[in-house]
Amino acid sequence: MSTDSRIITASVLPPPRSVTGIGGWIRVNLVNTWFNIGLTTVFGFILVVALWYGLKWVFFDADWRVIGTLGGRIIIGQYNVEAACPGRDCFWRPQAGLLLVMVLLGMAWSVSGGGLTKRIAVLFAGALVACAFLPYGLDKMGLDVRLLFAANVPALALGWAIARHTRLGTVSWIAVLAFCTFILILVLLRGIPGVPYLKPVSVLYWGGLMLNLLLAVVGIGLSLPIGITLALGRSSRLKVVNLLCVTFIETFRGVPLITLLFMSQVLVPLAFPENFPQNSLVRAAIIITLFSSAYMAENIRGGLQSLHPGQGEAARALGLPVWQTTLFISLPQAIRNVIPAIVGQFISLFKDTSLVYIIGMLDVVEMSRAFIQGNPEYLASAKEVFVFLAAVFWVFTFTMSHVSRRVEQHLGVGKR
Amino acid sequence: MGLKHFVILIGLIAMVGILATACSNGDDDNGAVASEDARLDLVKNRGKLICASRNDVPGYGSLDASGNNVGFDIDLCRAVAAAVLGDPKAIEIRYITASERGPTIQSGEVDLLVRTVTWTSSRDAQWGNYAQTMFYDGQGFIVKKSLGISSALELKDATVCVTQGTTTELNLQDFSTQNNLNITPLTFEESDAVIAAYQAGQCDAFTNDRSQLAAIGSGFDNRSDHVILPDTISEEPLGPVVPHGDEQWFDIVKTVMAILIYGEAYGVEQASVPSVATGDTKVDRLLGITGSYGQESLGLSQTAAQDVLKAVGNYGEVYDRNLGPGGINLPRENGRNALWADAACTNCPKGGQIYAAPLR
Amino acid sequence: MDTILRTLTYQGIPIWRNVFVIRWALQIVSGLLVVLLVSWFFINVGNAIEDRDIPYGFSFLSREYQTPIGQHFLAYESSDTFLYAFFVALTNTLIVSVVGVILATILGIVVGVCRMSSNWIASKLALVYIEFFRNVPLLVHLFFWFYVVLELPPVREGYGIAQKVYINNGGLSFPWPSPNGTGPAGVWLLVVALAIVAGFVTHRRLAIRETTTGATSYSLVLGVAVTLGISGFAWLLLSVGLIGSEGEPPFGLSYPEPHGTFGRISGGLTLSGGLIALLVGLVTYTAAFIAEIVRGGVQSVARGQTEASRSVGLSAMNTLRHITFPQALRVIVPSIISQYLNLTKNSSLAGAIGYSDLTNVAKTMTQTAPAVSIFIMIMVAYLAMSLVYSVIGNLYNRHIRFTGG
Repeated sequence: MSTDSRIITASVLPPPRSVTGIGGWIRVNLVNTWFNIGLTTVFGFILVVALWYGLKWVFFDADWRVIGTLGGRIIIGQYNVEAACPGRDCFWRPQAGLLLVMVLLGMAWSVSGGGLTKRIAVLFAGALVACAFLPYGLDKMGLDVRLLFAANVPALALGWAIARHTRLGTVSWIAVLAFCTFILILVLLRGIPGVPYLKPVSVLYWGGLMLNLLLAVVGIGLSLPIGITLALGRSSRLKVVNLLCVTFIETFRGVPLITLLFMSQVLVPLAFPENFPQNSLVRAAIIITLFSSAYMAENIRGGLQSLHPGQGEAARALGLPVWQTTLFISLPQAIRNVIPAIVGQFISLFKDTSLVYIIGMLDVVEMSRAFIQGNPEYLASAKEVFVFLAAVFWVFTFTMSHVSRRVEQHLGVGKR
Repeated sequence: MGLKHFVILIGLIAMVGILATACSNGDDDNGAVASEDARLDLVKNRGKLICASRNDVPGYGSLDASGNNVGFDIDLCRAVAAAVLGDPKAIEIRYITASERGPTIQSGEVDLLVRTVTWTSSRDAQWGNYAQTMFYDGQGFIVKKSLGISSALELKDATVCVTQGTTTELNLQDFSTQNNLNITPLTFEESDAVIAAYQAGQCDAFTNDRSQLAAIGSGFDNRSDHVILPDTISEEPLGPVVPHGDEQWFDIVKTVMAILIYGEAYGVEQASVPSVATGDTKVDRLLGITGSYGQESLGLSQTAAQDVLKAVGNYGEVYDRNLGPGGINLPRENGRNALWADAACTNCPKGGQIYAAPLR
Repeated sequence: MDTILRTLTYQGIPIWRNVFVIRWALQIVSGLLVVLLVSWFFINVGNAIEDRDIPYGFSFLSREYQTPIGQHFLAYESSDTFLYAFFVALTNTLIVSVVGVILATILGIVVGVCRMSSNWIASKLALVYIEFFRNVPLLVHLFFWFYVVLELPPVREGYGIAQKVYINNGGLSFPWPSPNGTGPAGVWLLVVALAIVAGFVTHRRLAIRETTTGATSYSLVLGVAVTLGISGFAWLLLSVGLIGSEGEPPFGLSYPEPHGTFGRISGGLTLSGGLIALLVGLVTYTAAFIAEIVRGGVQSVARGQTEASRSVGLSAMNTLRHITFPQALRVIVPSIISQYLNLTKNSSLAGAIGYSDLTNVAKTMTQTAPAVSIFIMIMVAYLAMSLVYSVIGNLYNRHIRFTGG
């Protein structure tokens, strides 16, 4: 032992001065060869120009008032208009849903013991509380609405405390609660006939970012299991099952989503009697889910193929039946191998929810466009609106990809 | 996907298609039962009237500053809801793009299509039944003054912006071919992009129904730099459309439109709809106080007209609120969209074309 | 019958627990269920079409379309038929797809390589690029670029470069070859096609000789030389009138020039503003995905490969080109093909920004033609395009698998 440590002590010298400090860092990372000096100059120039014009536009040229005027409609669309909610007192319902989500986030924070979850929770709660202090109102925001926004911090704390001091602080409980919360939020948003304060609001009026998130959650929740089923079906040796899965996957992957959505709007109503209650929201959710499932299936199939056949053989040798081999041996490893692809698909799905404009739903993008179109004096502000929308989407998708990278590191993918 | 899979796929699609057509031939009466369901009962049971409309053109159908649906088309929908259900708020607006109008009304999924739909013979045959012309429009062009042109015939070799799936798109081609203008169209799905393209000069002119041009132009920063050319290149009668196959429903919508028009002709205003006899036989009949204009056979309540007029006002009020001074400020006096005559006096022609089947 | 029964009750296993029976029962039941569901759907649609007199069928295809198409690369008159108009629109989509795929691949590889660069600025800029462009919906991208293109001056105040190239918000116009008479041009194109085949054969022959004998044979250079030589010779012959009757070159250059009251550019080739916005949007968006695929692929190559090649004295660039990249290709190609497909399908958003792609034109067609039939045509067209890409991808994949390493 002592000899080892002596050798190590002897070999560890301080790094040469040429690579330490700011000067050293620059020398190593920016100007170590002539080629790199050229690269640095070119990219440095691009960076400076982009920053200069970008910041100048954001801070001086752009007129952001349009975002304030759009206000709460960015978040909930037409949910709180007179036609949807007589009396216009429904804004608290999506907000209550948000509080429930914050409670869950608090619980997740407690269970994960800080780290990334903590940062996300704090950031989102902070952003929401900031909404309470916005100078211009979110759709004629009253004091109660501002209070509800501010309540996100106590909600977070409450979730944290619940998880810490009760038996609910486990991952499986949170998963169960998350599912219940989602159902609860749907009921809350839809309303119950006859119950005061819970007047039914037609799903046609659900819109804004709320709609994008709801569609994304439904899509993510359903497309993974459906995708797994399809992937297993496609790698199955049962000819008929295989054929059905291949047909489904290739049809949905071969056609653009907007064509599918347009067809769902035009063709699907023909298949039902005229008095059959149907609505675009459900159709959109189904089409987006199926479309995403087809891609998910291909990702998972990739994962299944990457598995060493020895895994399955060993499991069979130990006497596990096929379903157990699949469920406990193949799938967990396959999914772990393709987490980046799966999360990438989730992100695509979230972005694709902006395509529901094709069937006349007012998601956050289309809501903003409809507003501009209906109020032509804001036509000149279209650029600001699109830059803002890009930022909104970016926050969510970047969070998703960041989390996925962390999970990946945690599971040690690619480091076996 | 491999070749094998593709061949199998095509085979399956073909198989399903053959199966479907084979079965559908022997299954005719099944569907006939479905279409016998009266639309009126359907609406009443549902408690809501479903209208296909729009949210992107001020004056016709747009979202106001607090997100509510407003516009001429929306008010027509409300009027029908008031007549049938007694509640102008009992409506559901489905937003559709221009190219979805045909399929949507064909599917019977909506009760009423009010989305600035031009009445043409092939649409009447294929889409649904046009109840009544509620606005006479014509297609025009808006151009920048700086181009210095005064007639659409000078648009030789121009690029013209147009919205997709409209008669304007088709008329533009006719106009271009007829006058040998070689116009290049730029087709967009929605109006914000069209307007932006026109304003930036990506196209030299923007063509649409004249009223919509006026509506959209009213939002321009520098309205005086643009001019709507005097040429009207087409006839565009606009009105509500009902699905094929239910004559009672068709008649109801026609009658509601007539109520709006005669409401104005008889001078019945939203703020003062009488509920007791006024002594004027025509007004009393309209309001359902005496006599009848066929309410029972239509399935409407005796006082349906009162509901309608209380809910949205008469035609003139609907017009003024959305298209007139209260909205996009289209002139109405002495135009096509004025009433044919002042019904209060026996011989006072007003020179307009707004005219409906008499209510009696 | 007896044999079947004996197989089924093999070793006394009852029928309901026989794996063979269970499998087939399961398959038949699931197959029947799906067929029932699908046929129920189509029967209902069929009924509705009959009941509500919704037009259907494909007889409209030979009718005149009578509607303009904004930008078209093939000659198109409004008196052409629906079928031809559909084909014109399909070409529009194909051109976006092919040009987009090429540009996205180049940009994607550049960004991907920058991402792996040891240069801090290059690497971080590439990272920012990837994270930004991947994470925002394409629709928002397209609108952004649409408004950027609109910032260019309108056509009459646009930029002209030496009266040959014009840039304005109506589009980018530049000189483009145009055939002088269909005869010689056709003949020449045919010769070129043959020349390409000849060049390819030469290349293959020489490459095989090089691998078998080891003698340097410049297969690529000679292959290209053969192609160019034959085409050039044919051009010369046609130009001086030895084969053709006219005695002029098969292709001339058509120059763009402003024309008419509005100064719209005619002649040459014009890429409309909508097309440019669409291409820029699609290319920058897809390139971000391709960059990540390229990075993932290169990183999947074992480190020892790079180290070994550096230690035998190859430069960093040569290592990437000759050692890492060819091996990475096998990982990269399948994912990149699916990105190509995505790009093609995403081009269907073109209608939002005014480019006449397949979906855009087809939606206009539903005004004057049966919607149901149009949908079937769109679906078949897109499925066929994905098939073509998949086949090309699979062929290439097989190629690099067997001969590349």
